[in-house]
Amino acid sequence: MKRKKRIIPGFGISMGVTLTLLSLMVLIPLASLVVFTSKMSFSEIWNVITRPRVLASFRVSLITALIASLINAVMGVILAWVLVRYKFPGKRILDGMIELPFALPTAVAGIALTSLYSDSGWIGSIFAKFGIKIAYTRVGITIALIFIGIPFVVRAVQPVLEKIDPLYEEAAGILGASRARTFRKVILPELYPAIFTGFGLAFGRCLGEYGSVVFIAGNQPYETEITPLIIMSELQEYDYSSATAIALVMLLAAFIILFLVNLIQIRNTKILKGGN
Amino acid sequence: MAAEKTERVMPREGSTEIHADTKGSKAVRIILITLSVLFLFIMLVMPLITVIYESFRKGFGEYLKAVTDDETVGALLLTLEATVIAVIINTVFGLFAAWAISKFRFRGKKFLVTLIDLPVTVSPIIAGLIFVLTFGRQSFLYSYLEEIDFMIVYAVPGIILATVFVTFPFISREILPVLEAQGTDEEEAAALMGARSFTIFRKITLPHIKWALIYGIVLCAARAMGEFGAVSVLSGHLRGQTVTLPLQVEILFGDNKYMPAFAVSSILMIMAVVILIVRSIVEFIGRRKGEE
Amino acid sequence: MYIELKNINKSYGSFKASDNVGFGIEKGKLVALLGPSGSGKTTILRMIAGLERPDSGEIIIDGKVVNNVPASERGIGFVFQSYALFRYMTVYDNIAFGLTVRKQNKKEIKERVTELIKLIGLEGFEKRYPSQLSGGQRQRVAFARALAPNPQVLLLDEPFAAIDAKVRSELRKWLRDMIHQLGVTGIFVTHDQDEAIEVSDEIIVTNQGRIEQTGTPAEIYINPTTAFTSSFFGATSELTDYKAFENFDDIGEYDKAIIRPEFVKITKKNEQQKYKRSAVEGTVTDLQFRGNSFELTVDCNNSRFSARRGLDEPAVEIGEKVDVFIFRIFITQGNTVTLLKNNAVREETVVI
Repeated sequence: MKRKKRIIPGFGISMGVTLTLLSLMVLIPLASLVVFTSKMSFSEIWNVITRPRVLASFRVSLITALIASLINAVMGVILAWVLVRYKFPGKRILDGMIELPFALPTAVAGIALTSLYSDSGWIGSIFAKFGIKIAYTRVGITIALIFIGIPFVVRAVQPVLEKIDPLYEEAAGILGASRARTFRKVILPELYPAIFTGFGLAFGRCLGEYGSVVFIAGNQPYETEITPLIIMSELQEYDYSSATAIALVMLLAAFIILFLVNLIQIRNTKILKGGN
Repeated sequence: MAAEKTERVMPREGSTEIHADTKGSKAVRIILITLSVLFLFIMLVMPLITVIYESFRKGFGEYLKAVTDDETVGALLLTLEATVIAVIINTVFGLFAAWAISKFRFRGKKFLVTLIDLPVTVSPIIAGLIFVLTFGRQSFLYSYLEEIDFMIVYAVPGIILATVFVTFPFISREILPVLEAQGTDEEEAAALMGARSFTIFRKITLPHIKWALIYGIVLCAARAMGEFGAVSVLSGHLRGQTVTLPLQVEILFGDNKYMPAFAVSSILMIMAVVILIVRSIVEFIGRRKGEE
Repeated sequence: MYIELKNINKSYGSFKASDNVGFGIEKGKLVALLGPSGSGKTTILRMIAGLERPDSGEIIIDGKVVNNVPASERGIGFVFQSYALFRYMTVYDNIAFGLTVRKQNKKEIKERVTELIKLIGLEGFEKRYPSQLSGGQRQRVAFARALAPNPQVLLLDEPFAAIDAKVRSELRKWLRDMIHQLGVTGIFVTHDQDEAIEVSDEIIVTNQGRIEQTGTPAEIYINPTTAFTSSFFGATSELTDYKAFENFDDIGEYDKAIIRPEFVKITKKNEQQKYKRSAVEGTVTDLQFRGNSFELTVDCNNSRFSARRGLDEPAVEIGEKVDVFIFRIFITQGNTVTLLKNNAVREETVVI
């Protein structure tokens, strides 16, 4: 290899520190997962992940994460729209609050939501009158996941919306398009990639979420047991093989989501920047 | 004077203020704002109020007692320890990684960036799991660790490792875009004039990334303090030894000690709110500096 | 020769940025590296500065081979295209930076910086930040910063690219005078032929990683020696068949016949024209006011080319039939170029 002299100093040391820390903190631990998996046979893994209880947990996790992310996609667009386009008192506080789910420890959110939506809680008691239970049901899980996912779509859409020139909409307006039509045909298509990105990230986060869900879920096998919780209980029983097998499925799902998000982003930059 | 003032304000507003025609109907506006405020109130504000309300349910004396409980104070110290270490390691990493990635051309750069981001895409439970697999009983490292009597899993080092892992890219992710936008011209110019690496970093680069760095540290600290899943896997929940604040919340809640659980939560919540405020201030100053 | 490049080669992957480049520059000269984008001119500049390393060949400054001398020890000053002023430092600190890192004493630094600020005419701006300066002022600061450590060579990468047209010509003159006054050797990169002609003592024309031609602006403009140079300078047009025009020697096979607007004389049908007998009829297809002249587009003998007409001459109109007389043509054959003069004016000296 030819040694290239670079004018800016520090390549060797910064690359060295980066790779060392990355290896120690991320690559070696992740590699141990690979090593451990390689000791297991495929049928072993298959048997674990097709246990009815595990399959049920996949279903619970997928459905709740999907519903929560869809609700967040809709609310995220509305919130971003309100924050970018309207002026009203308290807007700054509202904007700052969006980040709360990132800052608030998940355990705190978990117990607060549980107490709020339990049958004796402020919100839960209202629904209890009509015989609707929220805490300890899938609805409760979904609510916890909505909480966790709020910032993703808002923060993805906001900067894009800020960049859309109002002239654009004025042009559509002059051409005679109604307000709703303008939104649907002119603005929304611009936002789709951002919405998908935010949705994908929120969905990925929701699938793996543990802290905020574990309190409100009730953790009834087959009913309200999410996948991370199963991994946790396998670990508590020192059944590392089962835990690893289930974790692999989750990792696979996470990577697929990440891949799709990247794909959308790449496609989008292609459209915007042209060329190939 | 007045005319001059409006004139100076107008062009700046012009870019965000929408023309009356494109503003849409007032009804839609009111509905959307109300919906947003209501949604955020129910989803975000109510939980906060719940925490405060439940904490002080039995009076201030009981609250104080719960907060100054030995186990709680121990948990707070452990949380701070893990947070400080995570911030230090990730700051060092973030600065070096962002420097290497933004100032030099090399092969596999994109791959490196993906690898660095990996920890945040992994479920916290899996983050815990991989450390258990690396250092736990079934690992070949376990016998060596036992020999030197250095426990990682179900001990403090494991908690610290998990905390560092889940916050790993937080600081580099904040600095990197700023450095990339800035380019390499200034550093090249400084190097050309004979400045040494540390001088270049301190005098040229650092002023650019100062606010991003502070912001990254704040985010990293917030996440480190609140991490639950990964820490939960590695902790073993030995009371007074391997319990961080979020785990203490879990233990108390599990023991049906609701009031103390919320009291401990209130500490974390206050930290979170302070962090959000600091973040807003940092962002505000950073943006104003950027406009200058 | 004060600066010399010998057989320099440099590739980025499969892209050859420098292909056996060699030239010499005398002390105290201001030289332009001129070429289209991607022609390798900036690479040459960066290699002289030490910002890039050649794959092979020698770079010699003041009799010493500097290939292995770090950029900071080559005694050069570098003005970046976007100036690369330190955005978080004041004008004063920017100019002082090169001296501070050399650990000079404070008093000397202050003297030198004050002197330079005076030289660039920015007294009173010491405490400002680069963002508070105009483009022209920034360029002056970048210039002063590069000059602060007393370099013998000043390298400038597209020094006028970021400045608006009005200030540009003023700065060009300022820069040229300044460099001559200080006696440093200057090399600047540009893609703008007018800029190169106006500012430099000598031009080095680059194309596809090679040096096409070197010489004074007048030499290069009047006597291009390669096909590339002949078509690069001036607002050139190509004739489809030069033999259709009378009184030019037939030199056999050729690639291109190139003319510039100043090679063409357009006269109205009723106007006096010395070479009317040898003129060809053409049609004006477009007419554009250029401020100091009219630019005409003329169709003639199946070719379309541009010509100029002074404001004091009788006006022509689009569609008007006119007499076209061509004084001279550059004929390219491979990479060589031959200047053909119209035989009708052969006996007389033509001054362009």
